[in-house]
Amino acid sequence: MDFFSKLTKIPRQVIYVVIALAVMIPLIIPIGLPIRVMPKAERLYAAIDSLGARSKPVLISCDFDPQSMPELYPMLIAILRHCMARDVKIVVMALWPQGPGLAEMALTQVPTEYDKEYGKDYAFLGYKFGVTAILLGMGDNIKGVFPVDYYGTPLDSLDITKKMRNYKDLSMIVTLSAGDPGWRAWLLYAQARYHAPVGIGVTAVSAADVYPYVETGQVIGLLAGMKGASEYEILVHEGKYSEGKRTAVQGMDAQSLGHLIIMVFIIIGNIGYFATRRKK
Amino acid sequence: MNPSTDPLVWLSALLTLFIFSFLFRDNILYQFAEHLFVGISAGYLIAITWHNQMLPNLFEPLFLQGNLLYIVPLLFGLCYFARFIPKIGYLVRLPIAFMLGWGSGAIIPAIFQRDILRQTQGTLLVRDAFTSWDTGLWTVIILIGVLSVLIYFFFSKERKGILKPTANLGIIFLMLGFGASFGYTVMSRISLLIGRFQFLLGDWLGIIR
Repeated sequence: MDFFSKLTKIPRQVIYVVIALAVMIPLIIPIGLPIRVMPKAERLYAAIDSLGARSKPVLISCDFDPQSMPELYPMLIAILRHCMARDVKIVVMALWPQGPGLAEMALTQVPTEYDKEYGKDYAFLGYKFGVTAILLGMGDNIKGVFPVDYYGTPLDSLDITKKMRNYKDLSMIVTLSAGDPGWRAWLLYAQARYHAPVGIGVTAVSAADVYPYVETGQVIGLLAGMKGASEYEILVHEGKYSEGKRTAVQGMDAQSLGHLIIMVFIIIGNIGYFATRRKK
Repeated sequence: MNPSTDPLVWLSALLTLFIFSFLFRDNILYQFAEHLFVGISAGYLIAITWHNQMLPNLFEPLFLQGNLLYIVPLLFGLCYFARFIPKIGYLVRLPIAFMLGWGSGAIIPAIFQRDILRQTQGTLLVRDAFTSWDTGLWTVIILIGVLSVLIYFFFSKERKGILKPTANLGIIFLMLGFGASFGYTVMSRISLLIGRFQFLLGDWLGIIR
């Protein structure tokens, strides 16, 4: 087997080890590569930044599971920090059954950083099955869909949700979505039907699908994958809203180096392919 | 290095390594972790559906509060199980017909609004799109992209004359779209790997903070 043939037959175990090292080393020894904040992330940040203590609550929907945590959980933490630092009231819910566990984990961490009180500054509605009925029902009567919060307390007895009726009583909806049900459903029902402003955070896999909706203005702003999460963490940090740990920013060196290695392997594979094809 | 003393973190780290072992080859440790995951996921889903859905939305109103109206959804739901009894299997059509009718009525107008009206508006060359040179340029590129891809998928006329280069341009736009999607997919998968390494090197081994 000649040199070029070998290039097309690199054992997959070698590729795995090289990628693992490319990801692991920058986590241990950070390089500090620059991260540019994209306008789509800036728009979501600006929309939340324009809110304050007197604004209507922001609804955050945790439509993801532990598999997509590295991309979406840092977004959740950063958005919670931003809202709480600006005294914006928050209502959290989930369209995925695994969402409540992750949301509760974030809600035990962030409110303590800002000394926020449950029921007054934030509320957690939990998870409901049946996306169409849930989102259409919330457009009519949120308390009809969620009569009680995640802990069984009636929404009528919580300060934050006492007077809440439907989407009109929310400043905006932010869905952190790893697939379906998620951003598509929120755009379909809350935005298209009830004209509620919707911001989106998605895994990078779905990002290309959301772009057309951002261009038309149907979406306030977009956070795409770990890069989007790191952009929001930077904006929150630069806005002096939080000095807390920034896991997405921490991972971006590894992300860039991982991409570089994959590009190198693609180029090597193509060189080998074209060189061997010419010989044939 | 400051390894965790939490047994749950160790369990989680070991299960992660079991799954990673598949990269070398399929083995019993990977299969154990995979089966454990499937079993726990199914159990979790059943439990959360019971506590979040069945109990508060059907059983409590019907049996504890005595609201007899809830017999209707109960019967409709039970009709799904009629599929297991061939003699009354046709009953399954009732809830399916209801769901199809209700779902179509609810979804079709919203999809028309979200995906057709607003997207068509976004493709038009309106004055607002030309407030700066770059947004104007992108609007023109989007319009050319949409038209050329639509022509690529127009199969009722032979591709001759102007249709041929336009359809070929459509292929270029499609390939750019596929490339962007693939790039984002790679980014997503690397992110998941980073997340696991952050856990292994941080929460478990305490090498990174």
